[in-house]
Amino acid sequence: MEREGSGAPMIALDGVGKRFRSGVEALAGIDLAVAPGSFVSLLGPSGCGKSTLLRIIAGLVPASSGRVVAESDLAKRLGFVFQEPTLMPWATVWQNVYLPLRLAGKWREDVAERIAETLAALGLEGFEQAYPRQLSGGMRMRVSIARALVTEPRLLLLDEPFAALDEFTRFRLNEDLLRLWQRHHWTVVFVTHSIFEAVFLSSRVVVMTPRPGRIVADLPVELPYPRESALRTAPAYAEQCRRISALLSEAMT
Amino acid sequence: MNGRIARVAAPLAVGLIFLFGWEALVRVGQIPSYVLPGPLLVAETLWRDGPSLLGSLLVTLRITLAALAAAVILGGALAILFAQSRLLEISLFPYAVILQVTPIVAIAPLIIIWLKDQVFLSLLVCAWIVAFFPVVANTTLGLNSADRNLVDLFRLYGASRGQTLRYLRLPSALPYFLAGTRISGGLALIGAVVAEFVAGTGGTESGLASRILEAGYRLQMPRLFAALLLLAATGVAIFALLGWLAQRLIGHWHESALPREE
Repeated sequence: MEREGSGAPMIALDGVGKRFRSGVEALAGIDLAVAPGSFVSLLGPSGCGKSTLLRIIAGLVPASSGRVVAESDLAKRLGFVFQEPTLMPWATVWQNVYLPLRLAGKWREDVAERIAETLAALGLEGFEQAYPRQLSGGMRMRVSIARALVTEPRLLLLDEPFAALDEFTRFRLNEDLLRLWQRHHWTVVFVTHSIFEAVFLSSRVVVMTPRPGRIVADLPVELPYPRESALRTAPAYAEQCRRISALLSEAMT
Repeated sequence: MNGRIARVAAPLAVGLIFLFGWEALVRVGQIPSYVLPGPLLVAETLWRDGPSLLGSLLVTLRITLAALAAAVILGGALAILFAQSRLLEISLFPYAVILQVTPIVAIAPLIIIWLKDQVFLSLLVCAWIVAFFPVVANTTLGLNSADRNLVDLFRLYGASRGQTLRYLRLPSALPYFLAGTRISGGLALIGAVVAEFVAGTGGTESGLASRILEAGYRLQMPRLFAALLLLAATGVAIFALLGWLAQRLIGHWHESALPREE
């Protein structure tokens, strides 16, 4: 892929393992390098440690073994989207999106324009003063993504953000996310258990299996960008899905 | 039936049936008023003695509100202190529990002896001991109930302890704090009355509890009932006021305060 430039990876994991205090071994021997500008999906069944891996990349959880080498200052340029929208229910949409900037000590006047742009990019104009409870699940997830994007992150980490949404909403958010990714130049690591979602979005799919979580396959998705909704019915898309699906079931047995 | 009408009409009907039955019982059974006065006689006494009881109500109310304020401020502060350090919480919390489970009637005489010249203060301390625990316990729970993922998010964005407290833990704790305050409101009134019962009558500034004791000694049951009625009304008013306050503060976002769509 031309987007996957050469040079140093943005973040590289070298033999990373994770054993919880309970004794459960969640991850073992993870080697993963994420190139700047790539869209990497971590694909696997639930319990394969993909969320734990994402948390290790984010620095929320320490690795028990191995090394994590990141670009300098990457920790300050991260965006994280959880499985749940994880909004503050007492705050409006605007205040929720302002949060990361507020924590960084930015005045609201100075960032009002940036917040307005981010809200617009996610189709949230007119909802600035709404409270999360007044929004649908899809809209809440848009707010959550807006909050992650408002800091203009270099690395965006998403932990099954669309798993709880209905299929129509998920498809639309997939397409919107891709469009934003192509316009800006972030790097994305996206956790999912959906083969179709992983293939549709990613430039590269990393397949994981559980107990302990390991990487069993690491393949490029050979479909050109921009990808529009028409791709979902294209034979090339079905072929890529079939290939990864076969790999996954082979690895699981 | 319309829900809103039912909410007012149903308890009202129950109340009227109860009062009617009570009056009928007193009249048919010819029960003397020093045993059980009928509601009409109580109402009449309240109307006549009301002004003289009002001064006493004010005394009780002052103690109650001061105790509630102290419970809210000290209880809230204690909970915030607990949230700063787990060690502090586990070291001090058992003593808050001990203070809470010790019957106030048993320690009130001690407090009254210790603070012998300051009647108001001793009653205030007793009422506070009864009232402060729900605020401490609820607020502590609330401060520790912040969404785990939001806590992670704050950590990810490098939030300071102060920022996490101000923007995350305190708002998360607010509904719990308000629920605790509502319980404390009722308890502060009970504490004020119980403390005064223990302290006994006398003194120039005596509250409703003294009036109740007095009326009891003199077998003035209608007056006793009238004083009781004032106490109950005060308790309901405090509860309603705190409920209104909670609705104002968290009504726009918290589940407990939202109208249910049907």
